Amino acid sequence: MDSELLQLQRQFESAQQAKSSVRLSERNVVELVRKLQDLRLIDFDLLHTISGKEYITTEQLHFEMVAEIERSGRVSLVDFSDVLGVDLYHIEKEGQHIVCSNPGLMLVNGEIISELYWDGIGEEINEKLQESSQMSLAEIAAQLHVGSELVLSVLEPRLGTIIKGRMESGQLFTPAYVSRITGIVRGACRGITVPTNLSALCNSLQRLLHDINGSNSVSIENSLFHSIFSALVKEKDILGSLRAGVHWTPAVFAHAQKESVDSFFSQNSYIGYDVLLKLAIAQPKQYLQIPRRHCVGQPFHSSIRVEMLDAAIQDVIEHGNWMNALSLLPVYVGGQDASKILSLCPSVQRAVKSSEAIILGEFCIFSSKCIKDLLDLIEKEMDTLTFTSNDGYRPDMNSTTEIKYESSSGKHSDIQQSFDDGGSTKHIPEKGSKKKRGKQTGSSKTGQSENDSGTQESMPSKGKSNQRRSKDSISIESKGSIMMKKASLIGLSEEWIAEKILAVAPDLGELGGPDDPYAMLSTLSSHLRPTLMESLEKKRKILLQENAKRSRQLLDNFQKQLDEAFLDFQLYERTLDLFEDDPTLSVILHRHLLKALAAPIVDKLIQTLVIDNKLRNGIEIEVSENLDAVQQTHANRSSLIKSLPDSLSVKAQTVVEAFEGKRVNTFTAALKALVEESGLILKKLDKKIEKSLLQSYRKDLTSQVSSESDTVVLLPKVVALLYLQVYNKALQAPGRAISAVVSRLKDKVPEETFKVLMDYHSSTVTLLSLQSAATEDDEDCTADRILGKKEYLESKMPQLKGLVLKPSNSGT
Amino acid sequence: MEEWDSSTKSALTQIPLLSIRAGPRDGAAWTQRLKEEYRALIAYTTMNKSNDNDWFRISAANPDGTRWTGSCWYVHNLRRYDFLLQFDIPVTYPATSPEIELPQLDGKTHKMYRGGKICLTVHFKPLWAKNSPRFGIAHALCLGLAPWLAAEVPILVDSGMVKHKDEEAPSAESCA
Repeated sequence: MDSELLQLQRQFESAQQAKSSVRLSERNVVELVRKLQDLRLIDFDLLHTISGKEYITTEQLHFEMVAEIERSGRVSLVDFSDVLGVDLYHIEKEGQHIVCSNPGLMLVNGEIISELYWDGIGEEINEKLQESSQMSLAEIAAQLHVGSELVLSVLEPRLGTIIKGRMESGQLFTPAYVSRITGIVRGACRGITVPTNLSALCNSLQRLLHDINGSNSVSIENSLFHSIFSALVKEKDILGSLRAGVHWTPAVFAHAQKESVDSFFSQNSYIGYDVLLKLAIAQPKQYLQIPRRHCVGQPFHSSIRVEMLDAAIQDVIEHGNWMNALSLLPVYVGGQDASKILSLCPSVQRAVKSSEAIILGEFCIFSSKCIKDLLDLIEKEMDTLTFTSNDGYRPDMNSTTEIKYESSSGKHSDIQQSFDDGGSTKHIPEKGSKKKRGKQTGSSKTGQSENDSGTQESMPSKGKSNQRRSKDSISIESKGSIMMKKASLIGLSEEWIAEKILAVAPDLGELGGPDDPYAMLSTLSSHLRPTLMESLEKKRKILLQENAKRSRQLLDNFQKQLDEAFLDFQLYERTLDLFEDDPTLSVILHRHLLKALAAPIVDKLIQTLVIDNKLRNGIEIEVSENLDAVQQTHANRSSLIKSLPDSLSVKAQTVVEAFEGKRVNTFTAALKALVEESGLILKKLDKKIEKSLLQSYRKDLTSQVSSESDTVVLLPKVVALLYLQVYNKALQAPGRAISAVVSRLKDKVPEETFKVLMDYHSSTVTLLSLQSAATEDDEDCTADRILGKKEYLESKMPQLKGLVLKPSNSGT
Repeated sequence: MEEWDSSTKSALTQIPLLSIRAGPRDGAAWTQRLKEEYRALIAYTTMNKSNDNDWFRISAANPDGTRWTGSCWYVHNLRRYDFLLQFDIPVTYPATSPEIELPQLDGKTHKMYRGGKICLTVHFKPLWAKNSPRFGIAHALCLGLAPWLAAEVPILVDSGMVKHKDEEAPSAESCA
């Protein structure tokens, strides 16, 4: 038998005996696995792949993941899921496991990254960095697709080891680059000599570099610049101080500044804030508070200056003067500073404490003596004020114009002198000079003394006061008489006092600051005001007492005059009864009587009342003797009446009205009311008085008639005498009523007498008419006729006189 | 070849074809033919085993290799049904295909000739004739017996003509 065949037989046998491979369906396998798990034959987690065709144990997964991480260094969990075909959930879980157990790994944004990976990246970055000398972290982060913070945290520990360079706010730099920039910055900073803003410096550097090297050159990052800068400052490579992080003040500059401040201070022994500001010291106060050798309190004034001021003030106080501290201090020392410095002066402190001096308006020192002098002067002023202000009838305008005239015309040299004197004595005034000045002021104010002296002399009480003062006061008055009157009535206003002060010591007016030239004056005046008010009050009291006395006197005088006048008036009034039957004549007579006799009474009454009223109000007034001299006009009267108090004023008005009317009766009634209102008495005419009056009147008339030489005036007097003889009544008749009056006598006097009267009368009338007609006419015959008539009348005069004198002689 | 399913066809194409036209009476040529038969059978068996499709055991019953005996089985409803298997190599072989017998199923199905020879499909004989002498015993098993078992055993089991040996045994015991 063929061996080969046998062989084949055996082969076939063995092939048939060979174990058949088992083929199971997926479903069967799944069921089998579940069965195994149920039977706890598999007691570990069994994962399956996404395709569902494979089982995988966690160990295997772990193993595979670790292997992958070690291989690539950085694996995304999502990639794991794709590569291993395992659900992401398990991958993440396992990934966290792996990261936890291995400190060299980190899980970032779904990626597992190993330290080795970062080392590699670091080397890569280093290579690139060495090429380009600077890199931005953002760029790196973008390339690596990770956050820049992560990059920062990863790169920081590798700086200097793997990465040769330094990091500056998101930028990586090579040491060479940094040293180059450092060199640039150092050079720039050392070159600066004035305070500079760092960012400006940086910008200019950048621009410079750009200009030099073109666009692809080195550029200085702001932050790098700052860090380099601060490093340089720290290493004292550049000297200076940095303020608020941006303002760089080089030491050179600070030194120069200090030098100049010191030199200024040592030269001028003070230094002002504005000087400091000019030296670019932003906060001079703080700057100066750094202790400096010779500073006293006020940081910028040396003690020398204070001593100087102190000495001056001491002098002022001793001599009873005043001074403006500002004048001794540099111009730019403000009021507040000045007062501070003043308060530093020991003499000021002492003086103020012992009330030897007073500081007004912050920087003016007045010794109390000076103040007192000033007060005295102003008080005197006030005297004149009170007198002059009541100088009621003198029109103010007059004096003003006179003053102006005088001041402009005369005594220029005097004025000049006073100014010079004021200028030179301003700061060291002495008492004597003050007086002198005062005099000069007075004279410079005007040479008004001449024209005014008359008025002054007519004022009895005014004579006492200093004439010079009065002149001043008048000049002031002329400036603001209305205001002054007000002041004297209400009290002293500060403005008024200020003006006074100005008048007394004009140099004080120059004190004020440029903004308010009168500030100083007003403070001074407000300081003086209370004292002045007090003295004024005292004065006024005295004045009131005087006035009361005077008003009493005045009223008494007036009463006497009134009695007399009114009795006369009544006497004539009686006569009017005779003519009651003839209305026209009566009216004429009434009017004449009112005009002739009542007018003086009314005027006198009103004037007396006005004066009395003023006296009562405490206004000094000089009694003018010629009160009744002037005949008042209607307007004058009513204006005077208006100055009276209400009740009097109304009554006085009615009196004036009645006086301008036609009836004597109404006037008498009104007058009575007014007189009673003003506290006076109207004496009534009784028989006895009437008789005696008539007697005296007749005597008077007789003597007048006998001595009368004027032809025209003679007639009414003769007629009046005749009336007195016939009716025993006093007649006051106007010329045009004479004929009617004469005709009344027809029955009472002898025929002859009457004829003579009529004849005389008619010829008088013709004479008067001729005279009035011939006032300005050319020479016709009237002159001759007048002459003739006059002669005729003169020839008749003895006859007429005889008419009256004879019976009287026979009668008596 | 349309009648056979895809797995059968793929199996058939992988069985190496034979080349020597020789029958049992051809002496040395037959020996050569027999060697080829073995090779084909080994390939087929190996293939079956690797596909987890092992379904028969045969061996030559005489030294000439003209009679073969063995067993075959079929899994139906998770039960394995085993049948004895025998056939002779005809004198006209390879022109005539061997007639495979399943003596245990004799008379149990009409898809069988007397003596337990299975009835092959109408397509088998023309295909065999066409491929003679290239087809051998392995091809006959693959194309003949395997489809027959797949078609007939489920019917036989369902109709109750063939019972599983686990069921037969107790019934046999009870009969005994």
